Amino acid sequence: MSDLDRQIEQLKNCEPLKESEVKALCLKAMEILVEESNVQRVDAPVTICGDIHGQFYDMKELFKVGGDCPKTNYLFLGDFVDRGFYSVETFLLLLALKVRYPDRITLIRGNHESRQITQVYGFYDECLRKYGSVNVWRYCTDIFDYLSLSALIENKIFSVHGGLSPAMTTLDQIRIIDRKQEVPHDGAMCDLLWSDPEDIVDGWGLSPRGAGFLFGGSVVTSFNHTNNIDYICRAHQLVMEGYKWMFNNQIVTVWSAPNYCYRCGNVAAILQLDENLNKQFCVFDAAPQDSRGNPAKKPAPDYFL
Amino acid sequence: MEVELDEKELKAAGAELLIDGRRGIRIHGWEIETHNRSILTSSNFELWEQKLQTSHLPEMVFGDSSLVLKHMETGIKIYFNAFDALAGWKKEALPPVEVPAAAQWKFRSKPFQQVILDYDYTFTTPYSGSETIEINAEKHGGEEKTSAENNGLCWEDSHEKIDLVSLSLKEPILFYDEVILYEDELADNGISLLTVKVRVMPSCWFLLLRFWLRVDGVLMRLRDTRLHCVFSNSENPIILRESCWREAKFQALAEKGYPTDSAAYNDPSIICDRLPIIMQKTQKLRVSGKL
Repeated sequence: MSDLDRQIEQLKNCEPLKESEVKALCLKAMEILVEESNVQRVDAPVTICGDIHGQFYDMKELFKVGGDCPKTNYLFLGDFVDRGFYSVETFLLLLALKVRYPDRITLIRGNHESRQITQVYGFYDECLRKYGSVNVWRYCTDIFDYLSLSALIENKIFSVHGGLSPAMTTLDQIRIIDRKQEVPHDGAMCDLLWSDPEDIVDGWGLSPRGAGFLFGGSVVTSFNHTNNIDYICRAHQLVMEGYKWMFNNQIVTVWSAPNYCYRCGNVAAILQLDENLNKQFCVFDAAPQDSRGNPAKKPAPDYFL
Repeated sequence: MEVELDEKELKAAGAELLIDGRRGIRIHGWEIETHNRSILTSSNFELWEQKLQTSHLPEMVFGDSSLVLKHMETGIKIYFNAFDALAGWKKEALPPVEVPAAAQWKFRSKPFQQVILDYDYTFTTPYSGSETIEINAEKHGGEEKTSAENNGLCWEDSHEKIDLVSLSLKEPILFYDEVILYEDELADNGISLLTVKVRVMPSCWFLLLRFWLRVDGVLMRLRDTRLHCVFSNSENPIILRESCWREAKFQALAEKGYPTDSAAYNDPSIICDRLPIIMQKTQKLRVSGKL
């Protein structure tokens, strides 16, 4: 058994790698990812997965219902880390699979694959806690900069973490972005990872936060028409039922973190496409309590004042 | 701080836990119950949007979760739920808070037909609980439910204070629970969270309803409501309610030399003293009229 295969087995048991192993793995991953396009081509059949957010045991459920990699070809739409308890193991397992089977798994970048966001929402603290230093966080966030920004399945389904950008009407405009950087606070790259579809606007909307675009049905119609695609598949927003179509089936949100944050009670979904691009949503629940290392749900009494 | 719940302690306090899968306790004529449920389904979410006449709700609305405290003899019912809290948000309708990146965004070229949304995405609410009198059906032959306005329940300003000293005594906790009513991640720009937690001891019950908001790099807002009821033999229960609102801008914290990274402000109970008080009041529940 090669080192890499042994590491994959170890990660499948939710045991993190040694710091030196992470460093070597990230170097190998970088060589692969640097060759990928901002609009990475993906062949069908493929299974599309949304946000995971460090919910390692729920990702194992995902592989149980979706099949193991490399037998199943996977596309993950980002947000591997933060919020859940096992961002380190989750991201490293996906990265190790990417290095081992580069043509059978595609990882694109979510807005949480960023230095700034991970310092607030958990991944940074988890690395520090599990390794006693921030080196592993550095290796991982350096790799985040190399992750592709979107994928195109059989030239017909455009996949991205967040959504569209008013600065991008064609896929070629996405292809020329220099992506090897921290996610910027504005501009096209930021929009692809952050924006959301919105029912109440038809064209473009600006979030009340003063930053962040919302896009309506007519924007999606014209994007799909211009680029000759059937629909857009994105993640980024929690959906109680695991997936949600909008704008007459022109865009679908896929969410793959069941019982999000270990308390929402939502189901998760993955979208399975066969070689003819026939769709099948596979809905799944969180891993049973006894199969995960989490503390029990019941809160401990506390003398709050 | 795990406290082993002792059957003997329950018995000595004249209390019993609710059974049949319910979470709660009966003690001194009170029935106190919590419901922790899933977030709203998409169809119920849309229904709430219609009822509240809004196109936006927090992404996690625990619409079927609640804390209910019912005084059996008088029918006084004090309860906490997301719907009433969101009705309060809708009514207060604070202007939106701009995030730091907004400054840069002002220089972006504007897309054709851009709409600027202007609802209060922080879901700040003045909610401090709901109350009503629910007449016991068996006792009065037929269910009756009256709204708080005309049912003789009101909160009157009071000079009394919740007795924090006695609450600091480590009386055994007979029942404890925490209920999240709603939560929003502000699209990864911070957190908006409304929770209520309750603890029941042999001598009293005490609860904390907390609205916690952190808009990263901009501001923090903490709106606490504490309710305390000391068990007594008087006809009507005596309940004190204290509201304390705190607010601070990150900039003001920086000027005082406090850290300004968001990660330092994950737990409001640790940092609340750094946030100046902007409103504080104590009220007492007054029961008037014939019940």
